[in-house]
Formats: sequence, structure tokens, C-alpha cells
Amino acid sequence: MSEQSLKQDIGTEYALELRGVTKQFGALNALTDITMSIRPGERRAVLGSNGAGKTTLFNCITGDFPPTSGSVMFFGEDVTAFPAHERIRRGLRRTYQISLLFDGLTVRDNVYLACRGVSRGRFSMRRANGDDALMHAAENLIDIVHLDDVREATVSDLSYGQQRQLEIALALAGAPRLVLLDEPAAGLSPSERKDLVSILGRLPTHMGYVIIEHDMDVALRVADRVTMMHNGKIFKDGAPEEIENDPEVQALYLGGGHD
Amino acid sequence: MRAFWKRHPIWSAILVAASFVLLWLIFAIWPPELVAVIGKKKVFVNALLNGITLGALYFLVASGFTLIFGLMRNVNLAHGSLYLLGGYIGYEVATLTGSWLLAFPAAFLSIACLGLVLQVLVFRHLDGQDLQQTLITIGISIVLADLMLWVWGGDFYQILAPEMLSGPVETFIQTGVKRSTGAPIFLKYPAVRLAILLAAVVIGLGMWLILNRTRIGMYVRAGVDDREMLSASGVRVQLVFICVFAFGAGLAGMAGVVGGTFQSMAPGEDTRFLLSSLVVVIVGGMGSIPGAALGALLVGLAEQFGSVYMPTYAVVLTFLIMVLVLAFRPQGLMGKG
Amino acid sequence: MAQSETVSATDATKARKSELGRKLATVPANVWFVAIILLLVPTFTGDFVQYQVFGWSFVLGLISLSLMFLAGYGGMVSLVQMTVAAVAGYCVAIFGTSGVAEISMGWPWYLSVIAAILIATLFCVATGALAVRTEGIYTIMITLAIASAFFYFTRQNYTIFNGFTGFNGVLPPHLFGIDWRSPTAFYYLSLFWAAAGYFAVVYVSRTPFGLALQGVRDNPRRMAALGYSVNAHRIAAYAFAGVLAAVGGILLTWSNGQISPGTAAVGPVIDILVIAVIGGINTPIGPFIGALIYVVLRTYALDFLVALNLSGERFKLLVGLGFLIIVYWSPDGVCGLWNKFAPKLRLKRKENASTEGKTDV
Repeated sequence: MSEQSLKQDIGTEYALELRGVTKQFGALNALTDITMSIRPGERRAVLGSNGAGKTTLFNCITGDFPPTSGSVMFFGEDVTAFPAHERIRRGLRRTYQISLLFDGLTVRDNVYLACRGVSRGRFSMRRANGDDALMHAAENLIDIVHLDDVREATVSDLSYGQQRQLEIALALAGAPRLVLLDEPAAGLSPSERKDLVSILGRLPTHMGYVIIEHDMDVALRVADRVTMMHNGKIFKDGAPEEIENDPEVQALYLGGGHD
Repeated sequence: MRAFWKRHPIWSAILVAASFVLLWLIFAIWPPELVAVIGKKKVFVNALLNGITLGALYFLVASGFTLIFGLMRNVNLAHGSLYLLGGYIGYEVATLTGSWLLAFPAAFLSIACLGLVLQVLVFRHLDGQDLQQTLITIGISIVLADLMLWVWGGDFYQILAPEMLSGPVETFIQTGVKRSTGAPIFLKYPAVRLAILLAAVVIGLGMWLILNRTRIGMYVRAGVDDREMLSASGVRVQLVFICVFAFGAGLAGMAGVVGGTFQSMAPGEDTRFLLSSLVVVIVGGMGSIPGAALGALLVGLAEQFGSVYMPTYAVVLTFLIMVLVLAFRPQGLMGKG
Repeated sequence: MAQSETVSATDATKARKSELGRKLATVPANVWFVAIILLLVPTFTGDFVQYQVFGWSFVLGLISLSLMFLAGYGGMVSLVQMTVAAVAGYCVAIFGTSGVAEISMGWPWYLSVIAAILIATLFCVATGALAVRTEGIYTIMITLAIASAFFYFTRQNYTIFNGFTGFNGVLPPHLFGIDWRSPTAFYYLSLFWAAAGYFAVVYVSRTPFGLALQGVRDNPRRMAALGYSVNAHRIAAYAFAGVLAAVGGILLTWSNGQISPGTAAVGPVIDILVIAVIGGINTPIGPFIGALIYVVLRTYALDFLVALNLSGERFKLLVGLGFLIIVYWSPDGVCGLWNKFAPKLRLKRKENASTEGKTDV
């Protein structure tokens, strides 16, 4: 599977390509004519103030709701008309800004569900036992996001930071080719942030991600390239240093101070 | 309207063509070949008028249902019971006072009060628990059905229309020519049904005006679109809820008097009208008043034409409309996507 | 070579046996207790109780279980389950033998039963496919509308469904020389299928399919973002529930000996929901408890009401009020009440014991 996908990756120039993506809610233009492309394995940060349209952009990419116009290409395939689950099965993943977890289930069951979702046997009528390959995969993911102490705990009993880590685990299930991370660091303590940066840093290099982040320090450390959004449009696009030193960006974003 | 024409030119063309055919069918004298194929014109026009008046009654019942549903996400499965209870109360008032007209406000007010009590005592405490609210309405309908059976028994009741509305009137629709004299024959139709049609149209327009031209109407529409926005905007949501619930319930009660006049009341009518409301609202679009009008018209026509032209499969016709709408436009014809 | 194979085979069966033994040992004592009581019921009860109380409860419970599966695990309150049961009943009557010889085709019983389960399940899937196109509370409306359309249709149609009268003389086969309609035989037959349905639901709820279904119930958006087709899962749930309801419908038809539009009229359709809610709509045992309460009320409330100088017809009032009370105060039904109060009782007993201990000192 991974070999095959690598071959495919080589065949296409971009992991993700947006062409003129526009999203309207009634009279409101949440996104206007977004065109951007992300290479396989690229790590991109998306910055912007509240209401800049970052999460809406993610929703249009994953198909949580479709764009009003424009198209979304994923590894050279036009997925604009695809339902969300079809995009996920092709290797796209996402996390949510406000954790969307299964509160009544254990950490292990949550991750197991995620692993099942991108493999065969989603309708399996056989209970999983200990030597199920997917169960192993789930256990591995739990280790990767440092939740091994609480694998049996129910999600509602986890701390906020642990829930955020579980969000990431769910997005890493299977063989992701591009992961969209929606403010994974929001609300985390400084030590938890450090943990997050190290988790991201240790991801395999062929796995690209797009991260929405308010914290400039985190964003600049984990991304190769930065996109600034403002009022539903792309405002600036460039290497982290360029963006950091851009006077317009500073006036618009950094000048407002960190939150 | 113009936007619809622009977006769906083919559908618009079909609709225009269909309306011309319909107008021709109503006003022309049918050639014998046509009569040979689909029967007498009188049967057709009667089915058409019956369908429209039945649709008017369905609209009266369903518009309250759809309003309550749209605003509170409460599938009020006791709506049919409110209809039947309104009819019984109207009957009692009409026989006591001898005034048919008095039955309407009496039924409206008493059922509106019942709705108000239900909203304040029960539903307000379960705000946001859609399923529990709906289950409670099931319980209420079971209890009300049995209480009504207790009080009024299993007999048929009919409310008598006043003298001036009791006979048939001659309409302007010509059904044929008298063979002996050559004078045109005009269709005769029960006056009371026409009066009800008129009343339904007036009530429908009134509701539309209130919803679109008044402040409370604006709140209600805002609430149908986005409940959180309504509560966030500082409007006293509970008050709006109470008003709408009472109004919707009262409308059902008043429709009971209408139904009791040109049909009859008996146990089981409550579920019948609940079901027709469900189908009307599913077809027309949940929470939409114009949708309820369109759905009611379609269902009324389907039932009447079905029972005239394909008696054993009449239900299937209504059902087919519902299935087609669900399959191709699950939000209903006028519902928002 | 051959010997070693047989040896390993016996080893395997031994291992399997010991595993089974281990699993059986984990079954709590009260489950054994209930199982043994249920198996022994016919030894100390009369025909009426076996057939009219328990047999009926098991069958209604099974149909209600299919609703519980959809509602409890899938979050879809489908009111079409009694209709699915009636479709199966009609199929058995139409394909098999009945008192209406002009319509019934007289197939052997196993063929008509298989056809009945298949067609009823298909019907349930088709309904589900329509219902899942909308969300949440709409399901109740759509399924109720479909259920009532079926009722009116069967009542109107004489060529297939024999209209108002329906079919009488629809009887179970005399298999193994047993009359399965005799009270004790029917008791065990319905108990078997009720238990089978119950354990199937319990098992499925922990399989990947069942887990995913609960995921869809709690968080459809996230499930789509994990690669699940939310609607496909919901429709599959309708298929599983359809099989349960179909089996229940066949048993119901056999126990009544007849099927008619009234079987799936709006009243009975709602009753299936009432049963599930009274018992507890979130646990598979709930529908059976609800069914037992419903049947006992239905059977004995008459005497009770007459004693209060009320007509026996007021049974519906009693059920309606009971239903209202349960919905309002205990959304998890009688099972919810049990879970709420049983721990407190246990706690109290412990407290009592400890205080007694203290006074001793």
C-alpha cells in the first residue's frame, strides 16, 4: 500500500491543489478564490486571525462541507465531488479544533475505530481479539502520541491535553499522505506544546501536513512554508523567515500581540 | 420566482405547459374522444375541486405542525389529537349555542390554551431534547385518544353547517350542454367546501404576512433558520416558543371544526390527520409554510384523483409522491437544503 | 501422520472447549439464574401464561429489540419495525399455506420462511435508505409515514393482501412431530429466537460494525473524517434490524394463526416503540422487560380497571400515562430506574452493615 502510494506520489507534482475555492454562507463570503498547492511531504502552516477562513478552508478540503465553487485536487485526482469518507480513504486526514472524540469509548477503542475506518472490514461482524493486526496498529499509535498510560481510560476522563493528543492519533491512523491539523496546540501548556512539536517532528518525512496555528513560535518551528490568510483570502505566502520579517504581516498579525 | 425560472428552465417550461393543459381541461368542453379515454368531465372537475378543498383542510392542520416543527424541532405527534379534540369541542359549542361560526374561536382558543399549558408545563423543561419531546407527544396522543374515546365514544359526529352554506352552488365551470335546449350545464359544488377553501387561503395569506411583515414573524423565521442565533440575539425565545406552540395547536383545533363540518369525527381521525400532516410536511419541506401549502395541495389532489381513477392503489400514489421527494429532494420541495 | 493430525485436532477441540469453559465462567450468576428460571417456566405455569404472557412477550420483545438496536446503537428511532414484521408475516401467508387458498401459493414452509425474511429485510433496508437521507428526528416522521402507508395499502388491496380480512390459518409446520403452536412448544420456540436475537445484538454491539455504528450515532461527522461511509453504516443497521423484526413477525403470525392490516396499524406500530422505551431503549434486555410489562398490563389490567369501576378499555390510558411518566422521569426506562436505584440500595445495605458493625464494637 505504502509503496504503491509512493509511486503515485512521484507521478504527481502536488499532494493537494486548490483552484479558485470559494465558500459562501448566505451572503457571507467565508472563502474567496483560494488557490494554493502543497507538495508531497511538505509541512505548511496556515496563519491568520479569527474569522480569516482557516477552518472553513479545512472543511472544504476534507469535504465536511463542499465549496460553493472551485476544485480540490488530491494527488492529481479531482475529489471536489467526493464525500468526506472517500477523501479520507485516499490518504487525507484531519483533526478538529474542538475535539470530536467518542466520549463514551476508551482511548484504545477510539484509535481502533480510526484504524478500522481506513482499512477493510468496516462492517465486520467478528469481534476483534488481541492478535488483530489493526489492534496492534492502534496500540502503536497510542504509543506514538504518548497516551500509553491511559489506553484503557474512557475519553471523558482524559485531561484536555490528552484529548488533543488523541485527536492527533485518530488522524494518523492507516497510511496518511497529508494531515490537516486544526490548531492542535490551542489550550496546551508549554510542556505539552513541546511534546506536540516533538511528535510532529518525528513523523515520517513522506507524510505532509498543513497546520493551523495561532502561536507563531510553534508554527515557525514545525513548518517549511507559511501561508497567511486574511478575510477569506490568501494574504501572503512564503518561507517562515520571510513571513516573520514581512512588515505587512507584522502590522496585521504580530502587531496585535500573541494570545 | 424569476430566480427559479433562471435556475430550472426545463422545470419551469413543464410547469407552464401543465398549467395550460389544466386550464384547458377545466374550461373547454371535452371532445367525445377524451371522454372515452378518461371519463366524464364532471368527474374530473369534481375530483379536482375535492382535491383542492381537501388540500385546504390538510394545509390548515399541517401548517401548525410545520411551524412547531420548524421552530422547536419537535415532531408533535399529538397534533392529530389536537385536531380531533378541537373538532369535538367545536361540535359541543355549535350544538349548545346553535352557532356554527362560534365553534371556530371556541376550538381555536381552547386548543391554543391546551398547547400553551403543554409548552409551559412539559416542553419548556425538555428544551433541546428533541427525541424526548417527541416521545412525550406520543404519550400525550395515546392518553388524549383514550380520554376522547371515554367522553365521546366511538360514534360518528358531524357539525352541521349553517343554512346559507348547506346547499350546492352553481359554479362558472361548464361541464356540458343540455341536449334538449342547448343551454350550457354548469357544475354544482357544495358551498361549504368553497367557503372552507376561501378561509384556508385567507389564513394561509395571513400567516405568510405575519411571518414576513411583523417583528414576531421575523423572530420566528430567524428561529427556524438558526435557533442559536435567535437565543443569542437576546429575544425571549421561550415567549416566541409559547406563542408559536399555542398558535399552531389552536390552528389544529380550528381545523378540527372544518374537518368536522365537511367530513366527520370519530376515533381514528386523529391518526389519519397526523399522518396526512406528516406526509404534507415531508413533501412540502419541514418548517416551511408555502411548502405546507404546496404539499397539502399535492397530497389532497393525489388522494382524490387516486380514489377516482385508481381506487385500489390510491394510497400508493400519495406514497409514491413522498418517496420521490425523499429520493430526489430529501429536504422537501420548498425546504432549505 | 494421520494419528498426529487427529491428536492435534483433539487438542484443538480441547483448547476450544476450555476457552468456552472460561467464557462460560465469566457469565455472571444472575444471568444463569434468569436462564434457568426461563427454561423451567413451563413446569410451574399453565398454558395461558406460557402462550399468552411469555410467548407473546418474547415475540413482541424481539420485534421491539430491532427498534432498540436502531435507536440505541444507531440513534435512529424507526417506527417501521412492526411493519417489517408484518411484511414477513404476510410473506409467510402468501408464499406458504393459509385459509385463503386463492392467494396462498403453498410453498413448503422453509422456502416461504426464507423468502419472508429476505423480503422483509429488503423492505427494511429500502425504508432505511430513504430515512437516512435526512437526519435525526425526521426519521420518526418518515418511518411512521411509510408504516401507515403500508397499513392503508394492505387494507385497500385485495389481490395480494386480501384487504381488510387478511389471512387466517397461517400455522407453523409440524416439525419433528411437534405442534409448534401448542403452548409449551411455542414457549420454547419463541424463547429460543428471543434469546438468539438478544445474544446476537449483544455480540454485534462489540464488533467493529457495532462500534462504528455507535460512533455514527455519537459523532457522524468525525466518523466520515475517519473514512466511514455514515449512510452505508446506517443502512446496514437497518438490514440487521430487519432480520430481527422479520423473525419476530413470522413468530407473531404463527402464534396468532393469522395476519391482517390491523397487525401493523398505527397503534401496534407505536406500541413497539412504547415497549422499547418503557423497558429501556439503550440496552438489549430493555425491550423484553418492556414487552413483559406491556403484556401483563394488557392481560391483567382489565380486572384491575373493572375493580376500579372503570371500563377495561381504559387500558390504553394506563399505558399512555405509564409511558409519559417513564419518558419524563427515566429516559432509560425501567432498566434505567434499576441502574439508578440498585447501586443506592446496595450502598445502603453496606452502610447498614457497617453501622451494625460499629454498634457491636
